[in-house]
Amino acid sequence: MTLFAVTRLELRRLFVRPLGWTIGALALAELGWRFALLLQLFLLNQVKLAALPDGPGYTDLVAVRLYSSLITGSPLPFGVTELALLVVPLLTMSTLASERSTGTLPLLFSTGLSASRILLGKYLAVLIWLTLWLLLAIALPLSLAHGVTLDWGKLAAATLGTFLTLAVLGAVGVACSAFASHPAVAAVAALMIGIALNCINLGAQLAGVNSGFINWLAMSTHQETLLRGMVSSADIVWFLLAIAVALALGTQRLAADRERG
Amino acid sequence: MNAPNSALVPVLKLERISRSRASRPAVRDLSLSLEAGQILGLLGVNGAGKSTTLSLIAGALTPDSGSIQLQGQDFLEHPELARQAIGWLPEAAPLWPELTIREHLEAHGRLRGLAGARLKDACDSVLERLELRDLSRRLAGVLSQGQRQRLGLACALLHRPALLVLDEPANALDPVQVVALRKLLRELAAAGTAVILSTHQLTEVTAVCDRVAILHEGVLRHDAPLPTDQHSALEKAFFDIAMTKAA
Repeated sequence: MTLFAVTRLELRRLFVRPLGWTIGALALAELGWRFALLLQLFLLNQVKLAALPDGPGYTDLVAVRLYSSLITGSPLPFGVTELALLVVPLLTMSTLASERSTGTLPLLFSTGLSASRILLGKYLAVLIWLTLWLLLAIALPLSLAHGVTLDWGKLAAATLGTFLTLAVLGAVGVACSAFASHPAVAAVAALMIGIALNCINLGAQLAGVNSGFINWLAMSTHQETLLRGMVSSADIVWFLLAIAVALALGTQRLAADRERG
Repeated sequence: MNAPNSALVPVLKLERISRSRASRPAVRDLSLSLEAGQILGLLGVNGAGKSTTLSLIAGALTPDSGSIQLQGQDFLEHPELARQAIGWLPEAAPLWPELTIREHLEAHGRLRGLAGARLKDACDSVLERLELRDLSRRLAGVLSQGQRQRLGLACALLHRPALLVLDEPANALDPVQVVALRKLLRELAAAGTAVILSTHQLTEVTAVCDRVAILHEGVLRHDAPLPTDQHSALEKAFFDIAMTKAA
């Protein structure tokens, strides 16, 4: 299928560019540092925590906290989510903006592929890269799985929440790349939209408002529920909706590009 | 979608296509048809509408009005026909700089529906034919202009299309490669491939084409077999048209 031909082409481009490797490796190194610090905090408090009935364990204090600073009290290096706000725009900025600047976009159009299939093919490639990155991040807490008791259900919910967050950021990044003429513009736009999606409810939260439309709009609201181990279909629908809106806007722009020539 | 008998229908038939770009008409009421094995030279001054016409034929642009038939089927209703039937070399051969020559060919092949042994054979064949075998692991970003052009041509030929659409294919080629290109185009035409060749070079047209069309300000002003006394007659026809305003 030609959709997968686009995915394969984009994956190849992602893997041969030094940028992808560099940001992937640096981000993993930073996550390794965060993991070591979380582990250190866990070990320091282990005796006190063991005395608490239903006290938090390795899953809550190390594995889940690796994903996001949303539920971390201590000042620590970035988690997967915070890193993704930077990494994903850098990864996605070239998906379509560079096709436009190198003149290869008309070549893709000339294969008879619709704008939606081109965009979807590119998005799938980004999603595969991000999934591999997330799997490598999960490998850090799982490396100690034989010596600790893991709450697999909570870890699965948190991993799902983080994956969906990456998927939304990826869709926003690809859409921004569809709109921009230069990759750098796409990266900045995706970064700003990602931050806005994550923090749009900050004012409401500071005012003590924890419900309402502004909180529903924020990605962090829905991710936090999953990070706490609660899987709700309403949250999953929000993520799917956000992905669909971003991809639809990107497709519309790409189709307009084809029309304009 | 029933494909008509390919022996009876032209490979390409444009009927009164028009297309505007940047709010200006780039192509107006263009009608043209091309049989299998024909090589049509498309001539015109800069801005005459040659590249727009080729983009319309290749499926990268859609016309504002008119119809395009590809092997007897409505191309605008079935843009996927381009996947196997058309090979397109745009001006300046756009490439992905981070991919090698072989990776380019494989990517183009997959986008055109080739896979497995067919893809490998097709890649080997065009690498050999365009003398790119020794460079197959070289990144496109470091190729010379001539090598880029040959790679673009290889990508266009890879899936053995019925219609080859070439925009300035001899650009940046050295004289030896130009002669080789002419020979290749004649061989392809002899095997039944229809070729549209856009160029500024009258000598290119007289060397390989058996028909010539001249576009001026988006209007087709001349479409006829090449004159028998070739170069001088073509030169006169071209300059007569190029120096006048479109009707």
